[in-house]
Amino acid sequence: MRKILAVILCKLGRAAGKLVGKGSSLPGKLALKICPDILGRVELPKHIIAVTGSNGKTSTVEMIASILRADGKTVVYNEEGSNQIEGVTTLVLTHADLRGRVKADVLLIESDERYAAHTFRFFHPTEFVVTNLYRDQLTRNGHPEWVYDSILPALHPDTELILNADDPLSSCFGRGREGVKWFGLDRCAIDLERPSGVYHDGARCPVCRSSMEYDYVHYNHIGAFRCTNPACGHQKPRTDYTVTAVDLDRCELVLDGGTKISLAFPSIYNVYNILAAYAACRECGVGEQTAAGVLGSYLLKNGRMQTFRLGGHHGTLLTSKHENSIAYDTNLRYIAGRKTDCSVLVIVDAVSRKYFTSETSWLWDIDFGQLNVPHVKKVVLSGRYCSDLAQRFSFTELSNWFVTPDISAAAAELKAAGDEELYVVTCFSDRDKLLAHVEKEG
Amino acid sequence: MEVRILHVYPDLMSLYGSYANIAVLRRYLEGLGCAVTVETLAPGGDGDISKADFLYMGAGTEGQARFAAEDFARFGPAVKEAAGDNAVMLFAGTAMELLGKTVAMAGGEVYEGIGLASFTTVQGKKRLTGDVYGHTELYPEAVVGFMNKCAVISGVETPLLSKVEMGWGNEAERGPEGFHWKNVFASELTGPLLVKNPKLLETVAAAIYARRGEALPLERPGDEWAEKGYAVTEEQLKKRVES
Repeated sequence: MRKILAVILCKLGRAAGKLVGKGSSLPGKLALKICPDILGRVELPKHIIAVTGSNGKTSTVEMIASILRADGKTVVYNEEGSNQIEGVTTLVLTHADLRGRVKADVLLIESDERYAAHTFRFFHPTEFVVTNLYRDQLTRNGHPEWVYDSILPALHPDTELILNADDPLSSCFGRGREGVKWFGLDRCAIDLERPSGVYHDGARCPVCRSSMEYDYVHYNHIGAFRCTNPACGHQKPRTDYTVTAVDLDRCELVLDGGTKISLAFPSIYNVYNILAAYAACRECGVGEQTAAGVLGSYLLKNGRMQTFRLGGHHGTLLTSKHENSIAYDTNLRYIAGRKTDCSVLVIVDAVSRKYFTSETSWLWDIDFGQLNVPHVKKVVLSGRYCSDLAQRFSFTELSNWFVTPDISAAAAELKAAGDEELYVVTCFSDRDKLLAHVEKEG
Repeated sequence: MEVRILHVYPDLMSLYGSYANIAVLRRYLEGLGCAVTVETLAPGGDGDISKADFLYMGAGTEGQARFAAEDFARFGPAVKEAAGDNAVMLFAGTAMELLGKTVAMAGGEVYEGIGLASFTTVQGKKRLTGDVYGHTELYPEAVVGFMNKCAVISGVETPLLSKVEMGWGNEAERGPEGFHWKNVFASELTGPLLVKNPKLLETVAAAIYARRGEALPLERPGDEWAEKGYAVTEEQLKKRVES
């Protein structure tokens, strides 16, 4: 009886929430109050795919859903990104009938990394993708090893893990487990010989703390790692799903030595997201050609990259999560890899859209020195924490940076002069403060 | 003046801009005309603690700190002797825990610190995070920072922040935070606390000068952005304290 009541109230709550534009967590919260073990009482689809990790969750989930649907499967997933247990409960119950049966081929869940163990207390995924584990949102996550310890209890022995072979930390989830599927990149043209960035989380083995060596890295400390302690043996595993070549200039990657995929956005991040989605779908029985067909020129819907015009400038918004240095580093690398003259606007106004903090330590983890290339003509620093940004920039080799605290004023100054490309690097919490002053494209 | 900085375990204890404490101190001292050398000490490596004007260890994960403690034990007597001789030191984040008697990890394991201080650390399974606004006896301006720890530190007799108006202290919210004895500065505040607190940077530099029997030069290089950044954060956090 409590189960039926929870389902009904969740459905009603969700319908009412949609009418007034409220988020999708509240109905699930209500249902969990009525029936705390509701997620253990429902009948779920045969495939339950979970995706977690520091970066790339939303994009990967979005691509998995598209591929599965193209393969004719019905998919239920948390499109609005409510990725804690309340949001997942809303998702499940709103797609269930009154007896609690979810009629779909696949339940696809983007899961918050800190709360995965809580979410999967009453059921467990059949496939679990962990994209990566980096420094991210220190104000709530602590540090990557803390997050690792939080995810570990969520990994049921019967769950098939789909892991990033190039990440020294999240790859530890596969130690001592059988049947793990690994995705990763072979040595590619974009590689570096040694880890990049201003800090090096891959310097020491996460298992035994001995020093690590790399044959190559794709970015930061992600690549072909190898612990120098023979007794430990932690190293990049052999991959089951592999990007065998990447050409970011030609916007192209090659999967498993054969299938070419066009990249709508030539970022190394995008390469990993595509590969993770491909691996998950292949493990669910989708054919290579179907998966590759969808992934070719796949345009993400989550709006992390947006183009616009501002005066004579053609602009691109590169949404980078504040408190996530690798997200920043990747977007800065993208800018550094362009060929044409450009200006860059970096905005740090609200560190988070969800909570208050004045924490700016993470700025020191970002490799802003990547912007020290001839085609970056000017960098404008703006927002409440522009002085912290300026202090950080004063420790780079760059000298062409300027501070305009007010975001509207920064936009007006840029609008008034110049026609070079403009890249805006900022977070979800701050991007609309700039987008309010531009003419959006597409 | 020649200043030797010894950065202990830079690739192990490096969380959240820990390196920036060295970068900003080096620039400050060079701005005063000092010739600064920075040496690093890796686990298993050799380092002469007695020759360092400034010894620094940054923040690491609990696992990294555990590993660091094992190696750092070799240097315990030398560090204590140098500290007694007024050598200037900064231990940030979990590095502070290594100065005490013992550290109890969340899983139950207990390991020893170097025993420079008599405090003990008990790590838990809950993360204690949040902005911190407090005051030290060393100067009147507020200290700002961010706490990111899972430990309760008991038995600190001489805290660095004697008053914490907002955020986590050693044992409790709004309780004293950090450790200060002679010229040993320690705080669990995350990352670049010398960047965020220009006055603390000046205090550390003054201690380095004082140990050489000199006062900080009256004319000192200003850091416009550090001062402005501090002012914004101080204002924001003070508003929170008062609200």
